[in-house]
Amino acid sequence: MATTDTAVSPGLALPPLTDEDVARSHDRSRVHDARVHRKRWRLLWLLVGPGILAMLGENDGPSMIAYASDGAEYGLGFFVPFIPLLFAMAFVCQEMCMRIGAVTHRGYGELVLQRYGRVWGWFGAGDLTLTNFVTLIAEFVAIRVGLAYFHLGSGVAVALGLALVAFTLSGGRYWRWERIVLGMALFNGLFLVAAILVKPDVGSVVDALDFTPFPGGSFNTLLLLLASTIGATVTPWMIFFQQSASADKGMTPSDISHGRYDTAAGAALAAIFGVGALIAGAALLTHGGAGIQGFAGAGFPEALKQVAGGAAGTVFALGLIEAGAVAILTISASTAYAAGECVGVSHSFNSSPRSAIVFYAANVGIALLAAVVILIPGAPLLSIALNANVLATVLLPVSLVFMLMLANDRGLMGPWANRLSTNAVGITVISFVGLCGAAYGIDSFLLSTHLIS
Amino acid sequence: MNADPPLMDDPDPRATVEEWDPRRPRRPEDELVMHLERDQLVVATSQPVPPAVLSARVRAGLWALRVFVVLVSLMVIYTFAYQLH
Repeated sequence: MATTDTAVSPGLALPPLTDEDVARSHDRSRVHDARVHRKRWRLLWLLVGPGILAMLGENDGPSMIAYASDGAEYGLGFFVPFIPLLFAMAFVCQEMCMRIGAVTHRGYGELVLQRYGRVWGWFGAGDLTLTNFVTLIAEFVAIRVGLAYFHLGSGVAVALGLALVAFTLSGGRYWRWERIVLGMALFNGLFLVAAILVKPDVGSVVDALDFTPFPGGSFNTLLLLLASTIGATVTPWMIFFQQSASADKGMTPSDISHGRYDTAAGAALAAIFGVGALIAGAALLTHGGAGIQGFAGAGFPEALKQVAGGAAGTVFALGLIEAGAVAILTISASTAYAAGECVGVSHSFNSSPRSAIVFYAANVGIALLAAVVILIPGAPLLSIALNANVLATVLLPVSLVFMLMLANDRGLMGPWANRLSTNAVGITVISFVGLCGAAYGIDSFLLSTHLIS
Repeated sequence: MNADPPLMDDPDPRATVEEWDPRRPRRPEDELVMHLERDQLVVATSQPVPPAVLSARVRAGLWALRVFVVLVSLMVIYTFAYQLH
C-alpha cells in the first residue's frame, strides 16, 4: 500500500527475512548505488525489464502470424498506423499495472481477490488460466511452424519450449530469469530484418500511415480482424505479468519514471517489430498470400522463401521460434504469479522451488499441459490457435475494469492514483476493446445460429 | 532472543513489522535489507489488504459486468464449439 516509508530504517528493529527478501535486497542495493552515484544509464539498465518483456512477449507467435496474415490478405493500408495505435493503448494499460505493482508491491491477482472479493479474484485467475492455456498451445504451434521450415517436427518444438522453461527457472532469482528472457526477446527484431529482406517500397509504407485503404469484407470479417488484432496487442496475461513482475523486481514509487521508460520502450519496439511482420507478410499480397494458412506446415516462412528468397524465409522462421519461446516463458510466469497470489502462498522467482511449490508447479505445469495437447494426433490446433486471440479479447474488459479501479484506489495508491487525464484515456481504451470484443462475440453467435446471414 | 534467527522460508503471516524484538542481534543481511521499503518485505506483503468499500453505483456496475461476461462467454464458447463441429 502507499506509504510514507522510504526504506527500512537502521534505527528500527528488523523483521525476520526470507530468502526472497535477501535476494530482492541485493537487486535494490545496486539500484540504490546507481541512484546515489547518479549513474543514469546503469540505473536505467537495472530498472528496465517488466515493460519490455510484457510488450515483446505479446509479440508472440500467433500475433506475428496474425500481422503477417493481415499484410498478406489486405496489404499495408490501415494496419501500419493501427498496430502502433494499439501499442499506444497497451502502453496506457501497462503503465497503470507497473505503477500499481511499484506502489503496492503486490500482484494484480491478490489485489483483486483481497480488495473486490473471491468471486472476481478467482474469475480473473480462471479467465487468465484458460486464455493462457489456449495461447500457450498456439505458441507451441508457432514454434512448430518455424521449425517445420527446417524440417523439424512437433517433438522438437515441445522439447525446446519445455527445456527453456526449466532452464530459466533453475536460477532461483528474478534478476537471472528476467535477463535471460530479455536477451531472448530482443531477437523479436528478426521480424524487422525479415521486413528489410523483402525489400518493401518505402513510399507505400509511408502512404499507408493515413489508415487507408480500409480492409474490405463482411462485417463479421472486419470484427474478427479487429478483435484478433486487439487480442494480439492487449491481453489479460500482460496485466497480471507486468504488475507482478514489477513487484517481484522490487520496484518502488521512486522507480515509476523508469518503469514508464521501460514500458514505452517495450511498446515502441513491439510496434516496430509488429509492423515488420506485417510488411514481410504484405510481400505475399500479390502472390496468393490470402490463401496461406499461417499455422499449417511451414506457412509464411516457406511462402516468403518462394517470393523473397531463402534469407527472408529463414529469418521469419527463426523469428517465429523466438516469438513462441519468449511468450511461453512470460505467459507461464503470469500463470504462476496468478496461482501463487490467489492461493496465498509464496509467488516469486526469488523464492526457491521448495518454498514456492505452487508458483513453480504452475509455471512448469501449464507449459507441460499445452505441450501435451500439440502432441495429440488430430487435435484441432488450427481452430484453437485462431480463436486464442479472440477469446482473450472478449474476456479482456473485465481485467481492464479492475485494473482501472485499482489504479484509482486512493487507499492503495495514495498520491500515485490515476489522474483525470489518465482515466479519460483508460476508459476510452477499455470501451473500445470491450465494444470490439462484445460485437464480435455477439455477431459470430448470431451468424452461427443463423439468426442473421 | 538468544541467537540469530535463521532465514525464514515461511514467515508467520500474522506477524507484523512492529512485533519484532528491537534487542535482537544484528545479522549480516540486515545491512542489505536497508534498501528495501518496509512494506516491501514478505512479512508485510503477506498481510491482506482490507476489502474495498464500494458504492451502490459501483456494485451495480460490477453486477452488470458479471452479466456481460457470462453472456458473451457463452456466445463465444457456443461459436467456438460450432466452428469445431
